[in-house]
Amino acid sequence: MSTLIERGYLIPAIDTDDVDYLSCAVQLAQSIRQWHPDANISVMTVKRCNDPVFNNVIPLPYGDLGGFANDWQCFAASPYRQTIKLEADMIAASPVDHWWTLFEHRDVVISQGCRTFYNEPATSRGYRKTFDTNNLPDVYNAITYWRLSHTAKEFFGLVRKIFDNWTQYRTLLKFSDEHPTTDVVYAVAAQLIGPEHVTLPTGLGPTIVHMKRNIQSTHSDNWPQELVWENTNPGLRINTVAQWGFFHYHNKDWKYNEQR
Amino acid sequence: MTTGALLFAYNNNTIDYVSMAKWTAKNIHRHLDIPVALVTDVMPTLHEFDKVILVQSTSENTRYFSDYAEHVVWHNTNRSNAYELSPWDQTLVLDVDYVVAGNSLHTVLNDSHNFLAHRWAYDITGINDFSGLNYFGNYNMPMWWATVMMFKRDKTTQMIFDTMNMIRDNWPHYRNLYANPRYTYRNDHALSIALNIIDGHTLRHPGILWKLASLTPEHNLTEIAQDQYRVDFVTPDKKSRRITIKNQDFHAMGKKQLGEIIVNAH
Repeated sequence: MSTLIERGYLIPAIDTDDVDYLSCAVQLAQSIRQWHPDANISVMTVKRCNDPVFNNVIPLPYGDLGGFANDWQCFAASPYRQTIKLEADMIAASPVDHWWTLFEHRDVVISQGCRTFYNEPATSRGYRKTFDTNNLPDVYNAITYWRLSHTAKEFFGLVRKIFDNWTQYRTLLKFSDEHPTTDVVYAVAAQLIGPEHVTLPTGLGPTIVHMKRNIQSTHSDNWPQELVWENTNPGLRINTVAQWGFFHYHNKDWKYNEQR
Repeated sequence: MTTGALLFAYNNNTIDYVSMAKWTAKNIHRHLDIPVALVTDVMPTLHEFDKVILVQSTSENTRYFSDYAEHVVWHNTNRSNAYELSPWDQTLVLDVDYVVAGNSLHTVLNDSHNFLAHRWAYDITGINDFSGLNYFGNYNMPMWWATVMMFKRDKTTQMIFDTMNMIRDNWPHYRNLYANPRYTYRNDHALSIALNIIDGHTLRHPGILWKLASLTPEHNLTEIAQDQYRVDFVTPDKKSRRITIKNQDFHAMGKKQLGEIIVNAH
């Protein structure tokens, strides 16, 4: 796709049997528009979509390759010179456009680490065994910035290569999963390319609030039933605490605009 | 502008808080050189205080003290009235089991903020992980400690204390909202919730720049000289160890041992 606009958000939303990621993407785009009505937002999907919340609905340039393996196509699909790719199952709980200023001096930035809903760095490492055992950077692809650059091209070329040749790459890792996850693939690619080229120093860049059970000390992943949440329109509070940045709700059934 | 300390001391059948307050007042005079006001319910004789404010405690709680191995009556509910009770423009509220052994609190008194408390506490011996004490409730709400509070009179500070009173008066609601399994009202929890509310639910209230040094009751505390203390403790691998602390303020969480030090000091 030819480059149209300088900056914009790109949300990959390829449905699975269990999850309607396009609905998640609509919810995310709506939350961004609450803070930034003029933001450029595109969705990459295989479904038809006429929702006006998106500026562009972009098909997968190389077709649906299945699951996470579509991720590398974002680079070719983005209509922006500078792109922030966002995982669909998040909402923007506060303004986020100041990050462009932080990112624009870099070619690629992958977010590192995640937060509790108290805005404290998460300390639970239960979900990150592969990263810790293999000394991989603690990256989360949920927020990934790139500008059209050789570094970005090289990075996404590596991401594609790792997805395509996972059976070989996984032999390099201890405790690797049978099927590659985007975060692990990004981490391996970052390690190969040099983490300093694709991440910001720890604590400097944006991080997601991650609502997985062990990170938030909830009894189950069904946190909407356990915690008090309030849509403050715009904004979100969890157990009274105002959220900021991107909020990764994890529980795909949660509807931000359907206050219980 | 007047600056002074404010102590709360309500004796019960087990703990002589007023004697602790007398001893703390002496320490405050020596190290911080500021007047001390005491809030209590019985006028003490031969006291060390610059002002005594007589207020009957409105209610009482019970709390288990591990060093006494019993439930003890505990008058803690009018601490949130510090704003209206304090005779000072700038007030340093201290727990009477906070040992002032140096002048580090001068830094707090000279700070430009209008309200400060400790966000973090730690075990001096390094044995205990305080993550369970620096947070509260089932979902680990960050906790500010009411052990040391510095405030200057202004609208925001007044709102903090008014909010603490609201939380105290509606404790079952806030206990439920913050998923706090603890039935008994606690000032630290009320302060934490109040700061969260007043700061727009952002948890960004500034804290005292250093962590609150603390000593839990299972460690043995003795005084070896003025402002010098010895702590004997046992490591998890059953080795006896000791440290000496000198001119270092700390929170003596074991009231019994501190009480014995104070008795010997008189």
